[in-house]
Amino acid sequence: MTQTSDRARQRAQARAQERARDLSLLLGVLLALLGAVLLGLYYLALDGGAAPRLAELALARLPESGVGNPVTAVLVNYRAFDTLVELAVLLAAVLGIWSLGPAPPGFQRSGAVLAGMVSWVVPLLIVASGYMLWVGGYAPGGAFQAGALLGAAGVIVRLAGDPTAGLPAEATQRWLLVLGVLVFALVGLGLMLFGAGFLTYPPKLAKWLILLIESAATIAIAAALAAAYVGGRPAPSKAAIDDYGSDSSP
Amino acid sequence: MHLDLLTDPLVLCIMLPLLGAVLTAALPRRAVLLGSLMAVATSAAAVTLTILVWQSGTLRVALGGWDQKLAISLRADGLATALVVMANIVGLGISVYASGYFRDPERMRAFWPLWLLLWAALNGLFLAGDLFNLYVMLELLGIAAAALGALTGSRDAIAANLRYLLVGLLGSITYLLGVALLYTAHGTLDLDLVAASIAADDELFAVNAATLVLMVAGLALKAALFPLHFWLPPAHANAPAPVSAALSALVVKAAFYLILRLWLDLFAPVTGMAAAMLLALLGAAAVVWGSWRALRAERLKLLAAYSTVAQIGYLFLFLPLLAATPAGPVRDSLLAALVLMAVTHGFAKAGFFLATGLVQTNAGHDRIDDLGGTAQRLPATTFAIALSGSALIGLPPSGSFIGKWLLMQCAIETGQWWWVIVVTTGTLLAAAYVFRVLSRAFGLEPTPLRFITDARAEIPALLLALVSVAVLGLASGPLWTLLGLQAGGDA
Repeated sequence: MTQTSDRARQRAQARAQERARDLSLLLGVLLALLGAVLLGLYYLALDGGAAPRLAELALARLPESGVGNPVTAVLVNYRAFDTLVELAVLLAAVLGIWSLGPAPPGFQRSGAVLAGMVSWVVPLLIVASGYMLWVGGYAPGGAFQAGALLGAAGVIVRLAGDPTAGLPAEATQRWLLVLGVLVFALVGLGLMLFGAGFLTYPPKLAKWLILLIESAATIAIAAALAAAYVGGRPAPSKAAIDDYGSDSSP
Repeated sequence: MHLDLLTDPLVLCIMLPLLGAVLTAALPRRAVLLGSLMAVATSAAAVTLTILVWQSGTLRVALGGWDQKLAISLRADGLATALVVMANIVGLGISVYASGYFRDPERMRAFWPLWLLLWAALNGLFLAGDLFNLYVMLELLGIAAAALGALTGSRDAIAANLRYLLVGLLGSITYLLGVALLYTAHGTLDLDLVAASIAADDELFAVNAATLVLMVAGLALKAALFPLHFWLPPAHANAPAPVSAALSALVVKAAFYLILRLWLDLFAPVTGMAAAMLLALLGAAAVVWGSWRALRAERLKLLAAYSTVAQIGYLFLFLPLLAATPAGPVRDSLLAALVLMAVTHGFAKAGFFLATGLVQTNAGHDRIDDLGGTAQRLPATTFAIALSGSALIGLPPSGSFIGKWLLMQCAIETGQWWWVIVVTTGTLLAAAYVFRVLSRAFGLEPTPLRFITDARAEIPALLLALVSVAVLGLASGPLWTLLGLQAGGDA
């Protein structure tokens, strides 16, 4: 009796699986068709569209932008406002993760081999990140790449058993997270206040303002990536618990 | 020191809430004070902007001092400004309400920076003049909204908002595909320049039409147009009250604004009657289905969420009428009626959700069947629900009464009489669901010795509801001026 019902259930399961497979196959075919149509349209647009797009213009104005790398010029000068909001998106993501609760405890302390490797790799990553930041001025590189490398250092530190991923206590960490948007916004608003216009760098100062913004952005991006990998609000230290207790008392 | 009065408010409307978000995130212990200050400052900037647009027409600025083609532009025309002023007044009301809403200090500290980021994204979206900048703003809006919606921390809320986040991402990516196609075809991202290029060149019709489909589909997902509304009711009904108000009154409206902007400004040469008819049919289905589900809802917040689905549907009914009406005062009035409907719903739904939150905190639940005696215990709150409910129905003198009136008038004049049936059905259903709530709330319970009064929470709800009924209904003339239209005498 139970055997037959078991067999019936198995058969029903197999049928359901088959149906799910058919459905996903159908979906795959439809999506492939959609992709083909989009590719065709893209070719049409590329072929018949306005030929001089923005690349020529961006290269022509490069000497005024304060940097030699066109990608950096687009990111931090021509379309600086987009980058400012992108940094805010990263901030929103981390704040969203933090709002869901405290971080999971993390991994156990690494063994000697991993610990030895980490003590080699992390300093290298920090140096490489500094290089990436500086080189972004005239060659491929910049704040996002540098921040990603520095953030990766944080990830490795957490994998090796440090639950904080190398980040400081919560109060300081909050300042690191907002640093990118804060410096970017203050530079932009400051320029507006002194008559240059929002995010309009004077050509003489452009290089140094961009370097300032990129450095702050690197730190903020690295902190955001590492904090996102930690996956929750940092565990409060002893001092913070006392502080919190006094704060919530009526 | 140098202030350029004509362009600074444009930037400040976006940068002040962003700066506020940074400060409240960095100094969580002073979040309420800093957040409230920034909310007031942002609203002041928005009001200044409105006055400027009122006096001198469309404002625009190309950021960074580069030429229009290379730079990101911000611009404030009548349509954008009308929505900005609505969003910022509602935002101020939500901020005042929220400063007393969260009991748990952790939630309070998480709320403020995310809320100010949401606010910055809303203003940025309304004022953007650049296709890719719009995408970035959409992204910020979506992430901040989903994070805020999950703030209650309950399993339902997190599940609903995870779905909201994923759906929102799908919508953004679809929009971004459209942006990539448009940039390839027209070589610029500036809205005005792309619009000029689309109008001048009809060889790329296939590309333009496909882009229209991609962008509108992506944004319709975000605007919760029937049948893409499935994510909205659970996400909006499970969020904390001030967040529900922001999501339902503002965030959904922002996606609709973008559809309208693209439809009217960018793709005017491409949009045909058939496309408008299809969207309006979906809108009609949303009106009937949303109102019906609202009537059947067991919880007050779910009722409000389904009512949002219906109210968004009304806005889409205007598209075929706009397509059928030649340019002139009649079309201008129709456009103003559309904006009036959107703005009225913003105020009314925010007031409704805020008042509902108060009912929920006081009664401990929001089951409609057990609301008896609410009118006796919470007289001001019940009044706010009744006021905003009458604006949702479209009773005179609310703004939506004028909006629906002009909609039906135009439907008959252009021979599309069937929309009148949809509007009437929706209005009757809305009356039924609002009066269902009110008949429970005004039960024959004994009057208690003490009323519950909570000015900080009740006044914003009441004022927002009052604006939707009295101010927008009785004094909607200025809206015509703000939109830069001639026929101001109709209302």
